[in-house]
Amino acid sequence: MIRLDSVTVQFGGLKAIDELSAELDAPVCGLIGPNGAGKTTLVNVLSGLVVPRSGRVEVDGSNLLPLAPVQRVRWGLRRSFQTEQVVEDLTVWDNVRAVLDHVPAGERAIAQDVAEVLHYTHLADVATRLGSEIDLFHRRMVELAKALVDRPRLLLLDEPGAGLDERESALLREALLGVQQFRGAQVLLIDHDVDLIAATCRQTLVMDFGRRLALGPTAEVLADADVRRAYLGA
Amino acid sequence: MDMLLPFLVSGLGVGAVYALSGVGLVVLFRASGVLNFAFGAIGALAAHCAWSVLEADGGQALAWAVAIGVSMAVSLAYGRLLAPALAERDTSIRSIGTLGLALILVGFAEWTWGEGPRRLVLPTDADGLEFGDVRLTWTRVLGLATAVAMMAAVGLLLARTRVGLRMRALADDRGLSALLGVRVLSVDGVAWALSGAFAGVCGMLLANIVRLQPTLLTFLVIPAFAAAIVGRLKSLPVTVLAGVVIGVLEACAILLPGFAPFRTAVPFLVALLAILFFRNTTRKA
Amino acid sequence: MSTSLSTSGRTNVPAPDPAPDPMQALAPALRQHARQQWRGLWAMGAVLLLLSVALLLLSNSYWLKTFTSALTLSVAVAGTALLYGQLGLVSLCQYALVAVGGWVALRLSHGFGLPFELCVLAGGLCASAAGMVAGLPALRLKGLYLALVTLMMAGGYQVLVSAVGFPDGGAGWLGKAQGTGRLMMARPAWAESDAAYLAYVVAWLALILVLIEWHRRSRAGRSWALIRRGEAAATSAGVHVLLYQSWAFGLAGFCAGVAGALLAGGVGQLDGRAFAASESVLMFALTVVGGAYHWLGTLLAGLLLRAVPALLTEWGVNGFLAQVFFGAALLHALITAPRGIAGQWVDGLTRLFAHLFARPPGPSRERRS
Repeated sequence: MIRLDSVTVQFGGLKAIDELSAELDAPVCGLIGPNGAGKTTLVNVLSGLVVPRSGRVEVDGSNLLPLAPVQRVRWGLRRSFQTEQVVEDLTVWDNVRAVLDHVPAGERAIAQDVAEVLHYTHLADVATRLGSEIDLFHRRMVELAKALVDRPRLLLLDEPGAGLDERESALLREALLGVQQFRGAQVLLIDHDVDLIAATCRQTLVMDFGRRLALGPTAEVLADADVRRAYLGA
Repeated sequence: MDMLLPFLVSGLGVGAVYALSGVGLVVLFRASGVLNFAFGAIGALAAHCAWSVLEADGGQALAWAVAIGVSMAVSLAYGRLLAPALAERDTSIRSIGTLGLALILVGFAEWTWGEGPRRLVLPTDADGLEFGDVRLTWTRVLGLATAVAMMAAVGLLLARTRVGLRMRALADDRGLSALLGVRVLSVDGVAWALSGAFAGVCGMLLANIVRLQPTLLTFLVIPAFAAAIVGRLKSLPVTVLAGVVIGVLEACAILLPGFAPFRTAVPFLVALLAILFFRNTTRKA
Repeated sequence: MSTSLSTSGRTNVPAPDPAPDPMQALAPALRQHARQQWRGLWAMGAVLLLLSVALLLLSNSYWLKTFTSALTLSVAVAGTALLYGQLGLVSLCQYALVAVGGWVALRLSHGFGLPFELCVLAGGLCASAAGMVAGLPALRLKGLYLALVTLMMAGGYQVLVSAVGFPDGGAGWLGKAQGTGRLMMARPAWAESDAAYLAYVVAWLALILVLIEWHRRSRAGRSWALIRRGEAAATSAGVHVLLYQSWAFGLAGFCAGVAGALLAGGVGQLDGRAFAASESVLMFALTVVGGAYHWLGTLLAGLLLRAVPALLTEWGVNGFLAQVFFGAALLHALITAPRGIAGQWVDGLTRLFAHLFARPPGPSRERRS
C-alpha cells in the first residue's frame, strides 16, 4: 500500500505537488491527469529523484523519504521510464540480469529468476538477441521484466504501453494484472490510455495542477464530473 | 616588492591574453555548445601567416589583418561546414571534433613552416613604456589595451545588441530558440567568427610574448581552459579574473625556490583546486 | 513454480499441460550464446597469435622495434578505448600516464633490481593512482570537464617529466645518473632479444585484453552498459555511477602504466621530452579512429600510432602530414563512422558470415523490428 501524507514539492515558485494525500491499496493503481499535473513528479518523489519539501511517503509501512534512490531500489522499488531504457548492445538476458547485480541476493537462483521473468513477459524467444535487434513490444516488456526480478515491492510504470498495438496491449494488460500473483508487488501505472487504466486498475488517482482531483474505484473516478471536465473532455 | 614587480607586470600581460582566450572559448561554448580545443591551433596558424607577411615586408598592419582574417575564416569554415555534422551528438563529441581540427591545423603549420621555434618580432616591440625597472613594449601595451577593449566589447555585444540577445538565447536553449525563429546557423556563425577573431589576436600576442611554435601555441590554450573551468564555462567576468590570476601566479612562481621549472603546471593546479570545490550540480534525473 | 498466463480474462488458470521449466526452455539458446562469446575470445587469441608470428617472420630489426612499440601502445589504447567505448568518457591524458608507468618501472628496476613483471605491475598501479588524482574530482562533473581536466593533467605531467627526466641508473630519489653510466632497463631473461620481446609484449597485450573482456562480461560491464544508456536508467537500476566510472578510470590508468613499463623495457631508456600533451591527444584521436568498441580497434590504433609514421618516413613523406591525416580521420570517424575502422570491418565480416552460413529460409518466426 502507498500512503502519501500532505506531500508538497516546490521548484522555485512553482508547486509541482500541492499537499497531496492519498492511500492506494489496489494491486494495480492508476495515476492519471493532464500534462503537467505532477504525475511524473510524484513518481520521481517515490523513486527518490526529487525530494519533497514536506510530507510523508510510506509504502507497505516503510518510510521511504530517508532512503537514497539506490537504497530504495534495494528495498524493492522499481521504475520504468517513458522512453524505454533498453541497453542496445546487451542481450535481453543481460539487460534483465543487470538489475540483479545491484540488489541483495534473494532466495531464488539468479538464472532461474531471470528465466522465470523472461517467460512471464513473453521474452523467452528473444532472450539472446541484442537490445538493438528487438522490436518495440519486446523493448517495453524488457522494461517490465527489469522491474520484476528478485523481490520487487512496488512497480512505478510510466506509460508502459505507449506505441503498442491491440494485440500487444492485451498481452501487456495480462502481464500487469498478474504481477501481484507472480511476484507479490503493487503496481502504480501512469498512462494516458484510459482503456488500459480501466482494464487493469481497480483504483485510480487523478491529479490536476499538483493536487488530488479524485481518488477511488476506477469506474467511479472516470465518471466523475470534475475529472471529465479537467481531463477526459466533458 | 621591487623584485616582484617585473614578474607581476609580465604576469599581467600574459594573464590578459589568457583572459582574452578564456572569453573567446566561453562565448563560443555558450552560443554553440562546442568547446573549441582548436582555439590555440587557430591562433598558431594565424600567427604563422602573420610571420610570413612580415618576412615578406608586408608591414605590421597587413600582418595583423591577415592573422585575424585567417583565424576568422578557419573558425567560421569549421563552424559552418563541419560542426553542423556533429550538431545532433552530445557536447563531448562535438568538442572532440575540434580536437581533429587542432591536429589538422598543427600538422599543417608544422609541415608548411617547420617545427623550428621562431620569434614573432613586431615593429612595436622596438619601443615601449618604462616603469623603473620594468619595460613594457608597445606591443604588450597595445595587446593589453586590445584585450580589455575586446572583452568589454563582447560584454556589450551580449548585453545590449540583438545579435547578443540571440546568442544568449541559443546558449540557453538551442532547440527552443530555433522554434522561436532565431536563425540558429547564422547566429552560430557570428559566434564562431567572433571566437576566431579572439583566437587570432591571442595567437599573435602569445607568439610575441612567448615564441612562435605550432605545438607550443596550441597548448598555451590550456591556461585559458583553466580560466574557463573556474568560470564554470558560464561566467565571463569570473573567467577574465581567473585568467589574469593564473597569469600572475604563473609568472610569480619563478620566485618560489625550486618551483621554477614547474610553473607551467600552475594553471592545472588552479583548475584542479577549483573543481574540488564545485558542487555536484549535474547529476540529474 | 511457474505462473502461466491465459489470454481469456483476468483470472489466472493453470495451463492444461504443465508448463516447461523456464530455465530448461532457455538453456539451449543461452548455451549457444555462450559458445558465441567464447568463439569471440578464441578469435581474438588466434588473431594475436597470427599477428605476432607474421610480424616476427616478416620484420627486419627496425620494423621489429616499430611493431613492438606499436603493440605496446595498444596496451595503453585499450584503456582509452575502455573509457570511451564503455562509458563515453574522454580521457586526454593516457600518454602522460604511460610516462608515469615507465618512470616507476625504470626506478624500481634500476634502483632495486626487482623482477620485470613486478616493475610492470607496480608501474600499472602507480599510473592508475596518478590518474585518479585528477580523474576522481572531474568524474563528478559533466563529461566535458573530464576531457578538460585530463588535458591539463597531460600538460602538467609534460612539464613534470621534462623537468625531472627518467631514471637511468643513478641514485637518489630521481635516479638520474650523472655523466656516463646511463643504464638501459633490464628485460626479462626469456625476452632478451628483440623478437622474444615482441612476443612478450603480445602476451601482455593479450592479458590486458582478456582482463577487459572479463570485466565487460561481468557485473562491471553490465553496469557500464547501463551508465552508457543513461545515468537515470543506471541509478534506477541501483548502479552506483561514480563507483563504476572510477573503477573504469583506474583500470584505464593501469593499462597505461603497464604500457609505460613495457615501453621502457623495449626502448631501454625513456626521454623526458617525448611525452608531450599532444601525444595523449593523438592517442585518443586514434583510439576513436581505430574503433573504441572492439579489441581489433585497439590493435589498429597502436599500429596507426607507430607503424604509419614509420612507413611515411620510409617513403620520404613529411611526418607532419601524418598528423593532418589523423586529424581528418578523427573528424571522419566522429561524423560518419562512430565505431571506427574496426567497427566497420567487424560489421562487414559479421554480415559476410551471416550471409555465408545463413540457415535455409523458413516461415518467418520473428517480428520485424
